[in-house]
Amino acid sequence: MGAAPVFRRSRSSKLVDRLMRGVLWAIAILFVVVLILFVGAILKQGWPVLNLSFLTKMPETLDAGGGIKPQIFNSIYLVVLSLGISLPVGLGAGVYMAEYAGKGRALNFLRLCIETLAATPSIVLALFGMIVFVQAMGWSFSIRSGALTLALLNIPVITRVTEVSLLAVPRELKEASYGLGATKLQTILKVALPYAATGILTGLVLTAGRAFGESAILVFTAGTNASAQFPDFRLTVPGETLSVHLWYVTSDGTLPDAREIAAGTAAVMILVLLSLNLLVRLVDRAIRRRTR
Amino acid sequence: MPIGSTLAHPAGIQPGGSRKADPMPDVLETSLTAVPANGGGGSAESRPTVPQAAESPAFRHSRTHRLADRWAHLAFLSCSLLVVGLIGGILFFLASRGLAAFWPVAGNMGRALHLSEVFLSADWAPSSDRFGILPFIAGSLGVTGLALLIAAPAGILTGVFIAKMAPAWMRNLMRQVMDLLVGIPSVVYGIFGLTVVLPLVSHTWLADAPASGFAVSAVILAVMIVPTIVSLSTDAFESLPSSLDEGAQALGSSRWQAIWHVLIPAARPRLLTAAVLGLGRAIGEAMAVQMVIGNNPQWIALMRESTDRAPFLRALFTPAATLTTELVQELPNTAAGSTWNNVLFAMGLLLYLLTMVLILATRRLGRGKEA
Amino acid sequence: MLIPTVPETKPIKLSVRNMAFSYGEKKVLDGLSLDIHAERVTAIIGPSGCGKSTFLKCFNRIHEVSSAVNVSGDMLMDGVDIYRGGIDEVDLRRRVGMVFQKPNPFPKSIYENVAFGPRLFGVSDRTSLDGIVEDALRKAALWDEVKDRLKESATGMSGGQQQRLCIARALAVNPEVLLMDEPCSALDPIATAKIEDLIGELKENLTIVIVTHNMQQAARVSDYTAFFWLGKLVEMDLTERIFTTPRVQMTEDYITGRFG
Repeated sequence: MGAAPVFRRSRSSKLVDRLMRGVLWAIAILFVVVLILFVGAILKQGWPVLNLSFLTKMPETLDAGGGIKPQIFNSIYLVVLSLGISLPVGLGAGVYMAEYAGKGRALNFLRLCIETLAATPSIVLALFGMIVFVQAMGWSFSIRSGALTLALLNIPVITRVTEVSLLAVPRELKEASYGLGATKLQTILKVALPYAATGILTGLVLTAGRAFGESAILVFTAGTNASAQFPDFRLTVPGETLSVHLWYVTSDGTLPDAREIAAGTAAVMILVLLSLNLLVRLVDRAIRRRTR
Repeated sequence: MPIGSTLAHPAGIQPGGSRKADPMPDVLETSLTAVPANGGGGSAESRPTVPQAAESPAFRHSRTHRLADRWAHLAFLSCSLLVVGLIGGILFFLASRGLAAFWPVAGNMGRALHLSEVFLSADWAPSSDRFGILPFIAGSLGVTGLALLIAAPAGILTGVFIAKMAPAWMRNLMRQVMDLLVGIPSVVYGIFGLTVVLPLVSHTWLADAPASGFAVSAVILAVMIVPTIVSLSTDAFESLPSSLDEGAQALGSSRWQAIWHVLIPAARPRLLTAAVLGLGRAIGEAMAVQMVIGNNPQWIALMRESTDRAPFLRALFTPAATLTTELVQELPNTAAGSTWNNVLFAMGLLLYLLTMVLILATRRLGRGKEA
Repeated sequence: MLIPTVPETKPIKLSVRNMAFSYGEKKVLDGLSLDIHAERVTAIIGPSGCGKSTFLKCFNRIHEVSSAVNVSGDMLMDGVDIYRGGIDEVDLRRRVGMVFQKPNPFPKSIYENVAFGPRLFGVSDRTSLDGIVEDALRKAALWDEVKDRLKESATGMSGGQQQRLCIARALAVNPEVLLMDEPCSALDPIATAKIEDLIGELKENLTIVIVTHNMQQAARVSDYTAFFWLGKLVEMDLTERIFTTPRVQMTEDYITGRFG
């Protein structure tokens, strides 16, 4: 009688297992290291430039020593404006998809459109904004062209996050509301949206971060000049943001201290985004603690 | 005593006298007495209703509520339609400018080009009326392909690491790292590439000073798209039934064998989707690449002429250009309506169509998963 | 017969004739006919999956919120067809309140939960709201327990309190009918007893329909009991009768625990 084969793990398979576990850990740690090096390098380069006068001075066009005051203002202004445009549209579309569209072809098609818009490269959106707002509407490079085009970038993100947050609202709560005789709109406004608000808010902060960092769209719609007035709330003037400024001084090269300005601007942007990230995390934690 | 009368309805309500006997199976026939078919034994003269409880008039929806409900539906619908309209609008406007390069359109300054002299020619010399965009298509594909070659394996492995192997603290840390990486603006990636990575390779045997090109662009791009791939592939692995994993390990396979032979194949459609979406992000990225790639439309010629001992490696460090970088580089310098400008819009249209194809591809992959 | 016949003095509130219900192609209820009397408690019993909850939800058309359904036959309230009689489902749901299987208070304060309904209909001044809230909480036998913490979150209450809050919330819009879908299935025996007592008090001026899988509960709280099986009505009668001398063998088998 032949002996039954012995199934024992071979030495090599154990070795491969060990090795691959190590590789997976190494890759993961590599990303952590990359991030730390990245943020560290940006902050280290920008640190010597970062001071109050850099943040509060007007930029120079030919001489060294300019600041980034109007760019900070324009960044915030454009983010706020573009969110103001995209929030109602994104919320509306998200509500429609979660609460009205039902399950079927229509919803599928809407999702396809949202996904396509979300995946559309910002340079393509920039071209669209350039044709429509800058040229056809005759608005040239201006805050309004920039805000409207930037809104196109935000809309799919807000729509998606609204839809997902609304779908997470427990059915029981909606039923309770309907059971009391609430209309659909009342149920959405008084029960579903308040419940989904934290999710939507988190998404909104992340969207703001994305809009804050966007450059390709704004180069071609809001322009590479900042108004000489401060603060300039006019929608018709060009509005160079921090990210555009960073790109422009680097690639233009007329400023003698372009390197320093770019480094300082990058550091400011990283600091803003880190604080936004921290804010989201803190809000998230606070909410989780409250609801527990 | 007839059983039905025990309920003694004052009067059965008889809506529309044409009601037929209730179609119930035989067994139950005799029991259908909860409602006496003839209206019960009681008097049948009046239709009894509950005296309307003194109803508080406050508990009625006003006309405004009802109208608001109806109009809101329309408002939400129009927001969605706006998004649909945008997809079409972008296509229409890009096409109106991009296609103008190939047809004699009023307002065109130059001649109408032939499709082949644009898409099949590598000769880009707009000032001498030559508009071959092959270098940019090849550049986009090259940089994106290289970036994906780095990011896809690394991202998928990180995904499986997060979903199936990492302890909770590491999982949290990785999530935060990915959140931060995805939030960093492309110009900041660009400046990092320009001021930190490029100096590292410049003046080495890899590149003459100053270096630029595919390799650095691809590495930067890889870091930029890795969060997308990681997050989608983490989801893919987490959504696998845990029985798969447990089953494999119960048979005695090691952690890695289970991942390699069971989990990755099972998650394949969604991993491919992740890679395709990463590809989409990479191919559309403009600013970061523009800042490091060197922006040389003649890169193909440059490589061909080079007489290097390590041509491939050095080719990765010669200045090149892609569809997006060329758009950023030249769009501000061309007049609207010129052939040059139109060809640039045609490149934008190409990028947009590519996005659509990629999204449709992810749909296909998704459907394959269900089947 | 052992049980004397009680002549019913209360009018019919809800009347169902030859009613059928389906989700798409799937028929869930068929050929149902029965009457429900005002100011009585009607219990619906039957094995799970027999369609009793579905039936209950037809009375306030809450199915329609989430899926396309098809109801045929007649369902009348006070003689008016609630599906085709020109009644708007939103109005209907105000008149036909519902308490769900799992307590589902809104993640708001106790006060806001009860005031939610009145607010929907535009009641906004503080004194009227205070009055409505107190009244509803008293009716739900919850006032004394919560009057000092009306501002606290409803989600911090015990399950039984939450369910009574949901009852109070439903009562605050002054419904004519109260539907209860296994209201005690998630509660402990003490909380269950409180709800059962409450049902006895509430029927003074409400029509109550309760779905329950607990036959003792049906026997304790209801005046009438209907036994459903596979989407059909097997038998409906006075509760006493159903539990002592059912006319159909299947009812007896179910009640004595031989199946289901």
